[in-house]
Amino acid sequence: MVVGATLQARIREAGLAYLLLLPSLVFLAAFTYWPILRSIWFSFHDVVLGDSKIIWLGLENYQRLWEDRLFWKAFGNTAFYTIITIPVAITCALLMAVALDSKLRGMAIYRSAFFYPVMIPSVAAGMVWVFLYSASYGPINQGLRLIGLPDTAWLYDSTWALPAIMVMSVWKYSGYFMLILLAALKLVPSDLYEAARLDGVSAWHRLIHITLPLISPTLYFVVIIGLLHSYQIFDYVYVMTHGGPADATNVLTFYIYQNGFQYQDIGYASTLANVLLLFVGGLIAVIATVFGRRIHYLGR
Amino acid sequence: MTSLSSETTSVPVLTGPRPALAALRRGWLHLVLVPIALLWLSPLLWILVTSLKARTEVFDPAAGFWPQALEWGNYPAALSVAPFGTYLVNSILVTGGILVAQLTTITLAAYAFARLNFPGKNLLFTLFLLQIMFPIYATFLTNFVTVRELGILNSLPAMIVPFVASGYGTFMLRQAFRQVPTELADAARLDGCGHFGILWHVYLPLVKPTLIAFGIITVVTHWNDYMWPLLVTNSEGVRTLPIGLGLLAKSDSGADWTRLMAATVVVVSPLLLLFVIFQRRFVDSFMHAGLK
Amino acid sequence: MAEVVLKGVSKAYAGRPTVHAVDLTVADKEFMVLVGPSGCGKSTTLRMIAGLEDITSGRLLIDGADVTHAQPQKRDIAMVFQSYALYPHMTAYRNMAFGLLKTTNLGKVEVDRRIREAAEILHITHLLDRKPNQLSGGERQRVAIGRALVRQPKVFLFDEPLSNLDAKLRTRMRGELKRLHKELGLTVIYVTHDQIEAMTLGTRVAILSEGRLQQVGPPMELYMRPANTFVATFIGTPEMSLLRCAVTPDGEGSLLQHERFTTTLAARPGAADVFLGVRPEEIRLTRPAEGMTRGIVERTELIGSEALAEILIGQDRIVARMPVSEAPESGAEVSLSFDLTRARLFDATSGRALAAI
Repeated sequence: MVVGATLQARIREAGLAYLLLLPSLVFLAAFTYWPILRSIWFSFHDVVLGDSKIIWLGLENYQRLWEDRLFWKAFGNTAFYTIITIPVAITCALLMAVALDSKLRGMAIYRSAFFYPVMIPSVAAGMVWVFLYSASYGPINQGLRLIGLPDTAWLYDSTWALPAIMVMSVWKYSGYFMLILLAALKLVPSDLYEAARLDGVSAWHRLIHITLPLISPTLYFVVIIGLLHSYQIFDYVYVMTHGGPADATNVLTFYIYQNGFQYQDIGYASTLANVLLLFVGGLIAVIATVFGRRIHYLGR
Repeated sequence: MTSLSSETTSVPVLTGPRPALAALRRGWLHLVLVPIALLWLSPLLWILVTSLKARTEVFDPAAGFWPQALEWGNYPAALSVAPFGTYLVNSILVTGGILVAQLTTITLAAYAFARLNFPGKNLLFTLFLLQIMFPIYATFLTNFVTVRELGILNSLPAMIVPFVASGYGTFMLRQAFRQVPTELADAARLDGCGHFGILWHVYLPLVKPTLIAFGIITVVTHWNDYMWPLLVTNSEGVRTLPIGLGLLAKSDSGADWTRLMAATVVVVSPLLLLFVIFQRRFVDSFMHAGLK
Repeated sequence: MAEVVLKGVSKAYAGRPTVHAVDLTVADKEFMVLVGPSGCGKSTTLRMIAGLEDITSGRLLIDGADVTHAQPQKRDIAMVFQSYALYPHMTAYRNMAFGLLKTTNLGKVEVDRRIREAAEILHITHLLDRKPNQLSGGERQRVAIGRALVRQPKVFLFDEPLSNLDAKLRTRMRGELKRLHKELGLTVIYVTHDQIEAMTLGTRVAILSEGRLQQVGPPMELYMRPANTFVATFIGTPEMSLLRCAVTPDGEGSLLQHERFTTTLAARPGAADVFLGVRPEEIRLTRPAEGMTRGIVERTELIGSEALAEILIGQDRIVARMPVSEAPESGAEVSLSFDLTRARLFDATSGRALAAI
């Protein structure tokens, strides 16, 4: 009897919990997990957008992908973009953060100057950089002309188009990473620095041996955020180059879009989407194992 | 000591060379930081300057950096080529809708995760957390199929539904809820509050900073959203500001940079103005978000 | 009338019992203190009375009504928490009004009247517009008590309310609580780990250990007639000394034999293996030839007007209290006697107090 009463209370609590979770779960299921499962299912089929007929293909889509040179190009571009942009942006961010982690005059102005690109819509940012990169009248080429360098048609040059977008990405996101790192730097106890100074440790070594280890959990977090933000390259490719020239800036998200929306081939696009998820998931797993082990948690 | 700036060159001998050295080092820092900051600001500067130039000036390398005369007319010209008023209203409705929906779902879910016990708690929480790993860019294709099947393509709800649940927001708020002392919840129970009373009268008022931080991040993210609204809209009546701007760019295709930059100023200024006014709040929010 | 009755109240977490069948009756207008070392189950018991924890088995009656499974707000109780648990975003006034408005249908005027009245009693009228972070520890404490007072509940529950205050303030608040209890005729159940607080505040004190009720009674009774060795050593500082003795019948009475001394008892305690319990003030240093036994002074401590001496008698260490002028040097051998009229015996195996000495 009495035990029944507490059991009843526990059931009531669980019921309430599920009720509270229900709205989130419905949308989480419908727009995060169902699409992933469906994408796996689609990848084994021939699915045409707007056509209810679905034909079983087995691994054909994956075989096609294996032989698809454009896929490998897009994959290479994605990997190149991700693996270069994130470390560069984080290094910039770290240097900015270390420079601003002091009672510097005009600190708020610097911080805003570095951070404001985060507030700008990707489409606007992309457009402005198209202008900046413009071959004949773009400020960048005008500047280069001043120091006697020849014009480059940045976004129309298959060598430079992707690096050009990467430079823009560094500009767009460094400020965000800087802010997160700055918050972490402020939590490093100053007595640690003082102790190191008394021991005669140089500023550079203080950065390498004290600051970096102590903010490593945040660095790790920033890497993950950076990876997730790197998906957004779709916006820039769409606005700035549309994948060109000659697919020099075609990346996986954009290639998925082309297959799904331009060629209406949902089955193959799903196959690509799965590979993209695996790629990002794999990167995160690698980072988690390589990085995760070296992290020094402060306090906790 | 630290408040000494580069002006104080005549340091008394007794204090030694250190303050002077620090001032010097600080001077160097400014010398490095000012150019970088200008570099970072230059795209914004170019947007503003170009939006006030005459069309021909843009293409004339000899015209110089500053406009010869301020062409304010670019603004009405930009605003007249597309229904920016409608775009603005749509942007507000979509962003506002996502914000309200997210605040509701994350509040309820975070309370359950922070304060209730139920079977499957860890598994469900993992599902929430994993959502962070699957942004819309990873699932847009099949989500498009779903939205199409639901028959809500080309409508405002289509732009809202994928973002109603937020694993990240739930996580942030759960952390904040867990910081609230349990004795406060106990006191509220004795004061006659049920779960919803405790949530409303105790938890929510106490986690206001977290709610604001999350709200700012959500607004910035979805106000600027490009890909998803681009995919699910195809008529002017439902487009948002970024989509409108993108269309304008496409139709102009570089022919009229002045008008385009004027439109860009219009699109970026709401958030940038808010950012300038509430700088501390914005900065704190994004900082806060990084610290788990 | 507000009588609280616990009948075999037990608590188990995930099958592990933490409170064992507590039977306790708190009479109307009584100040009942639950005391015990941390983890003894006193807070859990209080929280079960409050309704913040489920009662695993047993019954709880308040004023004759069975409230074993009633919601907290239906029990007509109010609680003051260790951390005060004032709502940080509300003023002192709102803190006091909140529960009143939620649990009753009182009009704004009556609510205001009650708050002002309570504020008057607690001398916090000038603080009503402040938020908790603008108040000192003692002031928060008063507001927390005020929040309970305005509810005019049948029973007041206090969960270690003074433990966050400094020593001086604690003494003052103790006096204040006593005054409130007397003047307002409150029924109070008060949890603390501090035996001095228990002794000075309680009209009766209930001692808990490892989830079991050890003894309930007025403070002096617990001090003078502890029911077992736990209570004997828990109450009183420095604690009662226990000397291991053997009892053998001897004519009408019996013989009490310690490894270093033997003495006669008029009665027969009914156990062969016992502890002789003596409090520090029941030990008297004597001139060399007159003592019951001798011991080596290990350490003396001067605590103002008095001195404490730790003395080794065979294997047993005892603590004696004496005027500073009589304090022995450490290392000295002393002669001493026990005031056997006040000392008590405990069964060495069960720890229970034995009837006669």
